[in-house]
Amino acid sequence: MAREITYIAAIMEGIHQEMARDDDVLLIGQSVGGSPEDPFVATFGPDRVRVTPISETAEIGMAAGAALAGKRPVVDCTMAEFLLVAMDQVVNEANRFHYMSGGQVTAPLVLKAGYGFTAGWAGQHTGSIYGMFMGVPGLKVALPSTPADAKGLMATAIRDDNPVLFLHHYLLTLETGDVPEGEHLVPFGQAAIVRPGTDVTIVATGWTVHRALEAAEELAADGVSVEVIDPRTIAPLDVDTILASVARTGRLVLVDQATKHASVSAIVAAEVAEAGFSSLRAPIVQVTALDAPIAYAKPMEDFVLPDVGKIVAGVRRAVDATVGAGR
Amino acid sequence: MTTAVTVDARVLRDLLATMWRIRAFEEQVGALKRADEVHGLIHLSIGGEGVAAAVCRQLRDDDAVYSGHRAHGHAVAKGAPLDRTMAELMGRDGGLCQGMGGSMHLVDVAHGFLGATGVVGGNIPLALGSALAAKQRGTDVVAVVFFGDGAVQAGLFTESVNLATLWRLPVLLVCENNGFAEFTPRSAHTTVERVGDVVAPYPLPRQTVDGNEVADVWSAFSALLARARAGEGPALLECLTHRLRGHYEGDPDRYREAVSTEDWQRKDPILRLQRAGHDAGWLPAGEPAELEKRARAEVEDAVTWARSSPFPSAVPEELR
Amino acid sequence: MDRVGTYRQMVRIREFEERVKRSFAEHPGVIRGHTHLADGAEASIVGSIAALRPGDQVMATYRCHGYPIALGSDPGALMAEIYGRTTGICGGYGGSMHLADPAHGFLGTSGIVGQSIPQATGAAYAAQVRSAGSAARTGDVVLCFFGDGASKQGAFHESLNIASLWKLPIVYVMENNSYSVSVRVEQEDANAAAGEPLATKAKAYSMPGVTIDGGDADVVHATLAEAVARARAGEGPTLVESLVYRLSAHGNSIAPPGVPLHYPEHEAVTVFGDVAEYEAAKRGDPVPRYRGALVTGGVLDAAAADAIVAGAVAEMQGAVDFALASPDPDPAAALRFVHA
Repeated sequence: MAREITYIAAIMEGIHQEMARDDDVLLIGQSVGGSPEDPFVATFGPDRVRVTPISETAEIGMAAGAALAGKRPVVDCTMAEFLLVAMDQVVNEANRFHYMSGGQVTAPLVLKAGYGFTAGWAGQHTGSIYGMFMGVPGLKVALPSTPADAKGLMATAIRDDNPVLFLHHYLLTLETGDVPEGEHLVPFGQAAIVRPGTDVTIVATGWTVHRALEAAEELAADGVSVEVIDPRTIAPLDVDTILASVARTGRLVLVDQATKHASVSAIVAAEVAEAGFSSLRAPIVQVTALDAPIAYAKPMEDFVLPDVGKIVAGVRRAVDATVGAGR
Repeated sequence: MTTAVTVDARVLRDLLATMWRIRAFEEQVGALKRADEVHGLIHLSIGGEGVAAAVCRQLRDDDAVYSGHRAHGHAVAKGAPLDRTMAELMGRDGGLCQGMGGSMHLVDVAHGFLGATGVVGGNIPLALGSALAAKQRGTDVVAVVFFGDGAVQAGLFTESVNLATLWRLPVLLVCENNGFAEFTPRSAHTTVERVGDVVAPYPLPRQTVDGNEVADVWSAFSALLARARAGEGPALLECLTHRLRGHYEGDPDRYREAVSTEDWQRKDPILRLQRAGHDAGWLPAGEPAELEKRARAEVEDAVTWARSSPFPSAVPEELR
Repeated sequence: MDRVGTYRQMVRIREFEERVKRSFAEHPGVIRGHTHLADGAEASIVGSIAALRPGDQVMATYRCHGYPIALGSDPGALMAEIYGRTTGICGGYGGSMHLADPAHGFLGTSGIVGQSIPQATGAAYAAQVRSAGSAARTGDVVLCFFGDGASKQGAFHESLNIASLWKLPIVYVMENNSYSVSVRVEQEDANAAAGEPLATKAKAYSMPGVTIDGGDADVVHATLAEAVARARAGEGPTLVESLVYRLSAHGNSIAPPGVPLHYPEHEAVTVFGDVAEYEAAKRGDPVPRYRGALVTGGVLDAAAADAIVAGAVAEMQGAVDFALASPDPDPAAALRFVHA
């Protein structure tokens, strides 16, 4: 039975259910388990749920060590930027262990962090920095855009035998949606076609999926049929679903809240240019954040971010363009 | 409780005026946040004015100050103009950072407020860098960094303490220990009660004072500052404070027992100094009310000025 | 403690490291990249590990050949790993800096200074949780080995604070060899510069901190036995500063492909020109020192000691022969194990 709950509640439900299912799952972080009334402490006890000091390197490094020793830690890292304080532990340790040991050890851990909080949080708390992690071998990266996916991807992340970066979008925190009540798993590396269409393919992640859907609605009124794809995990990335869609539509618009040169968009553009060039009937259009930090004042914040208007304009560019005109 | 140390009455009056400016400023920011004229994440320093005033009012414009996410009071005490500081918090073009930084990223280079950083502890090595530069230039300039007790559990704290001590850098580490790291009490973070004890293994002077006793902070900092200016190296000053508000504005604050009004009356650094001034006879009866009134008027003017400043244009001039 | 067995382990480690070193001259090109030898730290390694029991675990740094030997790993598989062969303990994926043998309790290493400290601390957290859930696994401890340089890393500070706060079953063994690569400890450590032991740092975490002669296996064992017992009893961690002297340079020479690699002289000589310091360290070599103690004490006679050495020489010759005879990995295997 599904019922409507918030995105953040779905994430916490996913963790809760996995902790109930598997005693090896632990939850640590700077903002969890701080009081006996904490629902996780109340259910699973203070051994498995622990509040940590502001010690990012130790939190993530300890998760790696506990994982090597057979546990499945989930670290609530709060904000994605805080991962940067412990960069070595995020990209150069746990994600290498299985490989460097020739497959002898595994490091199943989940780093949960919010990102993209473009609500006046200014320069150091608003980034969409997933691009810098998607090409790191051994690390998986999930970017849920709906409450149901948030729960399902979290459950899958916890059961995965690899380090997983689970990045939830802060602007979606209180968005609601239907979420299955019991066990719910969303496979990694399987994109969702969230809106089928025939004229243009849009690939978007996180909060921009919803902006893309609004743009698609607006364009439908003008007779442009847009297909919207949400990769859901960017590592692994379901390139096949995107290529198949582009083969049908011939046009690709990529929407991304990350800065263009560190975006999922850039990687998808490269993949489609390499493997789907013959399908393209127009140049690929990228609607990303501009290459700047996020300013505090709203007009500047808005200026650098993708929005519905920019997506609509991007789609129109793709529709109006014709590859090889005059050839 | 009255303080044992003697600080010149003129100094104490100046500190009282500074504290009132900060208090009035912070209360106004809180009101503007509720009215949605200030947005984003706002951390107020109400209750912590004494430390900001007693430390910053001893510094020169060429001394560098770094602060963290709870930075307004430090900036104001260091000399940042109220109008441009308020405009920054309101995201206006006339703000200190032209609306780009906001509450957690205030910078006022002209007054040596080199900046606030939004990630806990990230400012400490920055201050070491300023101190290193000052030392290499052969000046007596110092760097001061404010941080909370939560930052002390972060690795870069001891990395910095080790280097500052080893290189005898003119840097003063001012820890405002309010007993809470964000939302959790210090006891959940460490077995060590006093931040001063965390640096116990290192050969650098350290002192713990009641951060609500302004004269004590002034005297303790004064001695450590003189050492640093004389090239005798870094020191740690731990100021025990009490955060009167939640971690941020809007924080439900369930984790902390509310401070009873009576208790706070006793602790409030402004009221304490006023009582001391009255008892010692250097503060005429009408003066506190006058200082408060003046501060509030100044803040009102700052808000008016900030409101008149336009929002930044989305498209920077050079790109138009 | 089995003192003769301790001596045998020390000799095995020394002979293994000698063969790694000799490989650069005898089998040029066979070892790639960077190796770091444990010669000089044998008493500290073996004396520490002798305090463990099955179920305990160890994590360490990139100077990691000695620990798995003492824990019971096959030297042939270790040498083959350092030679990059498919029969290596990690199949040629890890190399000298990334040995792992979880079957013998050696969970692995980090090649980055200080970063295995939180990992070992996490393994201790896992052990603590395990203890709570199972009587059979009660009291497992973790040994965390690192160098003096790592104590300047934030990871050290963050981890020791949490370990003390959570009373984790871990013993931190800081092998202080007085050098971070080519920087002397008093050049980079405020305590050392003030003439204080590095174990002083434990004070910041309300944790016992002791400084010991890491060249004396008996002293190391006695200290570790006490610290391990404390950890097993749930009383929390200890910081042990074990003073050792690395008898080789930090690592082999660093050079582009095609330039033969070798082991340079120790930094005391090459950087500081302090021949006397290095010669004194050689005279204090813990391996002959322990042999001397055992022979003088009547625990071991010279012939038996020689037999132990001969046994180790033959064993490590076998390890080299095995590694040399082992095939290279299949190139396409490079894509295995990216994910579990």
